[in-house]
Amino acid sequence: MDLLRDSDKVSEILFSKMKRFQPTIAELEFYEFKYGINEFVPERGWDSVTLESPSTLEAMVTSKEFYKGINIKPIVNGRIGLDEIVVTFQQKLFAGLALGCYSEDWVDKHFYFDPRSFMFYHRTDYFTAEIIGHLGGKPYRQFDRKQKKFDTRQELGYRDFKLSNLEVDNLFIQSAMKLTRFRGVPLIFAIAGQTAAGKTEIVDRLKEVFTREGFKVTSIEIDNFLTDRDEREEKGIHSEGKEALHLELFKQALMDIRAGKQVTTPRYNFIDGTSSHSLDGKLKPGGVPIDISPAEIIFIEGNFPFLIDEIAPLIGIKVVYLTDDPIRLKRKWRRDMDLRKKYDLNYFRNRFFKDQFIMAQVAYLPQLLTCDIAVDTTGSAFWATPEVKKSLDSN
Amino acid sequence: MIGTNRLNSTEDFTAALFRELRMIQPGVDDLAFYEFRYALENYFPDQGWESIVLIPNFEIEQMVEDRRFYESIEHKPKIGDRIVLDRKIFHLNQVLFAGLASNQYSVEWVKNLFYFDVRGFFFVPRNTYFTQDVLTHLRGKPYQIFKQKQRQLDRYQGVGYLDFMKANEEIDHAFIECIQRVIEAKGTPILITLAGPTAAGKTEITERLLAEFHKKGQKITSIEVDNFLLDREIREDKPMGKESTHFDIFINSLEEILKGNKIQIPRYDFVYGTSSHDLRGNLKPGCSSIEVEPADIIFMEGNFPFHIDEISRLIGIKVVYLTDDPIRLKRKWKRDIDYRKKYDPAYFLNRYFKTQFLRADEIYRPLMAVSEMVVDTTGAALWVSAEIRDLLS
Repeated sequence: MDLLRDSDKVSEILFSKMKRFQPTIAELEFYEFKYGINEFVPERGWDSVTLESPSTLEAMVTSKEFYKGINIKPIVNGRIGLDEIVVTFQQKLFAGLALGCYSEDWVDKHFYFDPRSFMFYHRTDYFTAEIIGHLGGKPYRQFDRKQKKFDTRQELGYRDFKLSNLEVDNLFIQSAMKLTRFRGVPLIFAIAGQTAAGKTEIVDRLKEVFTREGFKVTSIEIDNFLTDRDEREEKGIHSEGKEALHLELFKQALMDIRAGKQVTTPRYNFIDGTSSHSLDGKLKPGGVPIDISPAEIIFIEGNFPFLIDEIAPLIGIKVVYLTDDPIRLKRKWRRDMDLRKKYDLNYFRNRFFKDQFIMAQVAYLPQLLTCDIAVDTTGSAFWATPEVKKSLDSN
Repeated sequence: MIGTNRLNSTEDFTAALFRELRMIQPGVDDLAFYEFRYALENYFPDQGWESIVLIPNFEIEQMVEDRRFYESIEHKPKIGDRIVLDRKIFHLNQVLFAGLASNQYSVEWVKNLFYFDVRGFFFVPRNTYFTQDVLTHLRGKPYQIFKQKQRQLDRYQGVGYLDFMKANEEIDHAFIECIQRVIEAKGTPILITLAGPTAAGKTEITERLLAEFHKKGQKITSIEVDNFLLDREIREDKPMGKESTHFDIFINSLEEILKGNKIQIPRYDFVYGTSSHDLRGNLKPGCSSIEVEPADIIFMEGNFPFHIDEISRLIGIKVVYLTDDPIRLKRKWKRDIDYRKKYDPAYFLNRYFKTQFLRADEIYRPLMAVSEMVVDTTGAALWVSAEIRDLLS
C-alpha cells in the first residue's frame, strides 16, 4: 500500500496502465492526464481509499440500489457537485488499478472510461442470453463495426455517427419497407431507444423514404399524452410509464389511426407543464388539442413506446434502436453539452452514471424481449425475431 | 428591423445563417443542420429574429476597438442560479447572426473583424498583435517563416497538446536554435524573459528551452515573477506590474544576480495570498525568503509588463510567445474546461471575450514593440528586433 502515499507516482502508473487499454489516454500528454485525475485524488491521499474485491464491486454496479442512492444534484459549496457515491467509486477503481488489485482486463471488461468525464462507467449488456434467444440466436445480418474508430474520440457529432451506421441503417430501412408491403397499411411503427441512440434521426430518414415511396406518413408523440405536471408530482409519478399518461386517450388514438381515421390527441405544453386535457380525459376550456390526419405509416418514438401492456398489441412493428453507452455519451457531450449547453457538468455526469443502468432494466431490456426488430448500431448488427426473418426472406 | 420576407420563418433564418457561417468557419461544416439549430436556439430572441435591430457596421468596428466595451463586460451575470453569457456579448452575437442571415453584413466584413468559435458558438473580436509600432520595431518582416501547420486545427472544436506541439515543431525548433545564437552573441550572465497570452504554450516551450540549456551545460536559474507579488488584500485587482509587486526588491534582485551574486527574494503563498515581505520590503516575522543562486542564464516566465523602463534595461532577451486567440481558445476548451473542469463554461466565455483585448492592449502590444524576439506559432513566424537581426548576421 506504500505506493499509494505518493499521488504523483499513482498518476504515473495509472497513465501508463490506462494507455494500454484506453486509446484516448494514449493521445494525452501526461500533464493533461494529471489535470483530469486531479479531481479524484482523495483529500487524505490515495492510501485512504478502501478497496473491495472485484466480485464485490461487480455485485455493487449491477444492483439497482447502488444507482438509486446517487443524488444527481448534490450541492457542494453552492454548486452542483459530483455525487459522493460516484466519486468514491472512481477512486476505488483508480486506486485498485494503480495497485494491481484490479487487472486491466477486468476493469476493461466491466467498465468503460469516458475521457471527457474522466470517469469509469459500468458497461451495460443489452444482449442477454434471453434476448438473443428471442431474436433467434444470431443477428439477421452484421456489418463492419465502423464505430470502432470513435474509440479515440472525446465527443462525437452526427455526421460521423451517421456515416458509420450507413449499412445497418439502410438494411433497417429496406426491411421496414418490405415488412410494410408484407403486412399492409395502416401500420404503426414504434421505435424505442436510449437517449442519443439516434432515434429521431432514423425516424426522420424512415419518414423521408416512406414519403418518397408514396406513403402518407405521420407521427404521434407520446409526450403529448402526459398529464399535468402538478398532478404527476403530487402523486409522485415519474414522467414515464402509463400512470403519467392519458392512457385511455392514447389507446383510443392508436385504435382509430389504425382504422384509418383522423384522430385528435391531447397537447402537452412543456413550458408550463400542462395538458390540454384534464385527468378525466376531457378537453379543458381553452385547451387546444392536436389533429392528426389519417395516414398509412404512423411512427411512435420514445423511451417506452411498447412497454405498456395495453398499448403493445396495437403496434404493428416494434423496434429497439440501440447504441452502446460509451458512444451515446460521446454524442451527448457534443450535442447536449457543447451545442445546446443544456446541463451543468456535474449534473450531466451524475445523471448519465445513474440512469443508464436503471433505464436498461426498466425500459430497454424488457422491450428487447418483446420487440420484432433490434438495430444495434455499435455492433453494426440487425436482429429480428424468427417470424420477421421469415417475412424478410420471403419474396 | 430586418426587412426581407424570407426571414419570416425561423427555419429559413437558421438555414440562411448556416450557409453564411460555413463560409466564415469551416468547422461549422461538420455540424448536421439540426445540431446547428440546437446551438442557435440559445440565441432565439423573445420577439423573433425579425425584432433584432442591426447596428451600422462602423459602430460595430468602433465598439470592438474600444476598451470601455470590454471593461463593461460582466464575468458572472446570472439568470436564476445559472451563469449566462454577458448581455452585451449575447446581443452582439444576435445582431451578427441577424445581419449575416439577412445579408446585411457581408461574410468578408464579419470574418475580418471576428472569428467564430464553434464550441462556444459565438463570435469574438479578432485581436491585432502586430500593430504598426510592432511591425516597425521588428523591421516589417519575419526573420524566419515556416508552413502554417496550425491551419489543420481550424476545424477542430478543441485542441489537445500533442496536436498543438506537432503543428509548432518547426517554429519551436527555429526559436530554440535562434535564442542559443543570441545568447552566444550577447554573452552571459543574461536575463531572459518569456511572456505570452494564456494557453499560447509558454509553460511547454519553457520546459523545452530549459532542457536544451541544460544539455549544453549552461547553468540556469528560473525566477518566478509571482514571488514578488504583494499580499492579495493590498493588491486588490491591480494588474501585474509596478503597483502590485515589491518592485524595488525586484529590480534590486535582478541587478545583483546579474552581477553574479546570490540573492534572497520574497516568497508568495498562493493558498493564503500573502507575501513573506511587508510593504516596506522587510521580511515578516515567521516567514522565510527564497535563496536564488547566480547562473549563466536567468530565466523568467510570466506576464509581467517587462517593457517598463526600469526593468526592460536589465533584460537581455525579451521574448513574446504568441498563439492566435481562436487557437488558444480551443486549447483552453480542452485543457481548462474538459480536463481541469476549472470554470463554468459561460463564465469562461465571458472572461475570454473580455480579457484577450484588455491584456493585448496592456501587456502584449507594448511589450512586442520593444521585444528582442517574437514567436508567432500560428503564423509559424519568428520575428526579431533590428538589433538582434544585426547581431545574428
